[in-house]
Amino acid sequence: MKTNLLGKKIAFYVLIIIVWQGIDSAEIWPDNIFPSPIEVGEDLLYGISDGSLFYGIGTSMWRLVIGLSIAIGGGMLLGIFMARVETVNQTIGSLVLGLQSIPSVAWVPLAILWFGLSDSGIIFVTAIGAIFAVTINTYTGVKNIDPSFIEAARNMGAKGGQLVTTILIPAAFPYMISGFKQGWAFAWRGVIGAELLFSFLGLGFLLNVGRQLNDVSQVIAMMLVIMGIGILIDGFVFKKLEDKVMTKWGLR
Amino acid sequence: MGKIEAKNIVKYFQHDGKPLKAIGGVNLTVDDGEFVCIVGPSGCGKSTFLRILAGLEKPDEGEILLDGKKLVNTGPDRIMVFQEGALFPWLTVEDNVEYGLKVAGIPETKRHDISKRYLDMMQLSQFANSYTYQLSTGMKQRVAIARALVMDPDVLLMDEPFAALDSQTRDLLLVEMQMIWQKTKKTIIFVTHNVPEAAVLGSRVAVFSHRPSVVKKSLDIDYKRPRVAEDENLGKFEKQILAALRHQGPK
Repeated sequence: MKTNLLGKKIAFYVLIIIVWQGIDSAEIWPDNIFPSPIEVGEDLLYGISDGSLFYGIGTSMWRLVIGLSIAIGGGMLLGIFMARVETVNQTIGSLVLGLQSIPSVAWVPLAILWFGLSDSGIIFVTAIGAIFAVTINTYTGVKNIDPSFIEAARNMGAKGGQLVTTILIPAAFPYMISGFKQGWAFAWRGVIGAELLFSFLGLGFLLNVGRQLNDVSQVIAMMLVIMGIGILIDGFVFKKLEDKVMTKWGLR
Repeated sequence: MGKIEAKNIVKYFQHDGKPLKAIGGVNLTVDDGEFVCIVGPSGCGKSTFLRILAGLEKPDEGEILLDGKKLVNTGPDRIMVFQEGALFPWLTVEDNVEYGLKVAGIPETKRHDISKRYLDMMQLSQFANSYTYQLSTGMKQRVAIARALVMDPDVLLMDEPFAALDSQTRDLLLVEMQMIWQKTKKTIIFVTHNVPEAAVLGSRVAVFSHRPSVVKKSLDIDYKRPRVAEDENLGKFEKQILAALRHQGPK
């Protein structure tokens, strides 16, 4: 079954490349609008050989990790407060729902004004794009904790911070994982979008350089890299983490 | 020591926006080392009463005294065993059992020594590293009992802990519970709706009335231990409990 699935996937992607090459060979559009897969591959190889691709990936990932860490830390804190203190939920809670609806690139102008064309500005956009997804999932997770867990812990003497670290966070963790996963997706969109507009290093910047040079194969190559990293992180980091947590918590 | 006194406990519930008197002045004194079962019609507030004893809910009137000292909050001097166990699914059996000790800041090696003793007592040693989803309902309740015992509480409060068990597992745990009580000499208050269970376990059975509940009758079960559920001599005690329960129509 598993090899069958893998076979299907490989066949599908090979088919895409063949069709792509076929369209290119038909010469419907000129090469500077519709590049062949070979040209895109050459661009990728060029980026690898001169190291600019790795530098771009490294820069974007570094910003992503910092931004997402801030979002996870801040989002958990805010979500727990919202779930445990009714006044916080009634006030900040409504604001969080509103802010969640702002696309992360819409923060870019503000970030440029506040931070200038700097890493901090891009990290700000990344973090703010992800934080509310973490907050809302954490809130839902804490709200859904079996009340007897909290009562049992209090009964055994747990108080305040102990209750948060030993009960609230682990009990809500399966929900938080969903929040991290959503947060990562928002953060990745955020970091690429911000780099595009800030035009200050990173994969988004390389994407924009491709457009400025009218180099369509570089644009497509960068989009493929962005997609590839997305698939890798989704599949290897978050899916693994989620599986592990769900099994351990007895949820599957 | 573990003498616990409930003095004139009154508790209201909100029912359709109106206060409904659920517990109507319960007085109950349980001496140190006594095993008291509370039975009563469903909805009489016996579980709520137990939660008040645990300090998990506040009474609207009345007070709880432990060895003469008024109790305000919940705490490890009275440990509750919940109906569904309330075990933490993210911890192993051993870590569940050690939870309260860890919270109390007891060092790891000492924690292990204590938990090992109770895991042995509850025949859980081979499951020490299992997670709770891997255990049967009966095993889970053993873990919950072990987790309560490691805290060495003055009073053990048990809220229908065997209600979800099959009858074989329950019979086994009824015998074990008596052995635990004789070994540890704990004060135990055990809420159940199952009359034979109360007759097997209790040195005394407190029968609650319909709500607003009061202690309708207190029956001593003066019979040798360990008792087993199928012992016909327990029948007369069961009849007494049933008579006390029936003595009162719904209000």
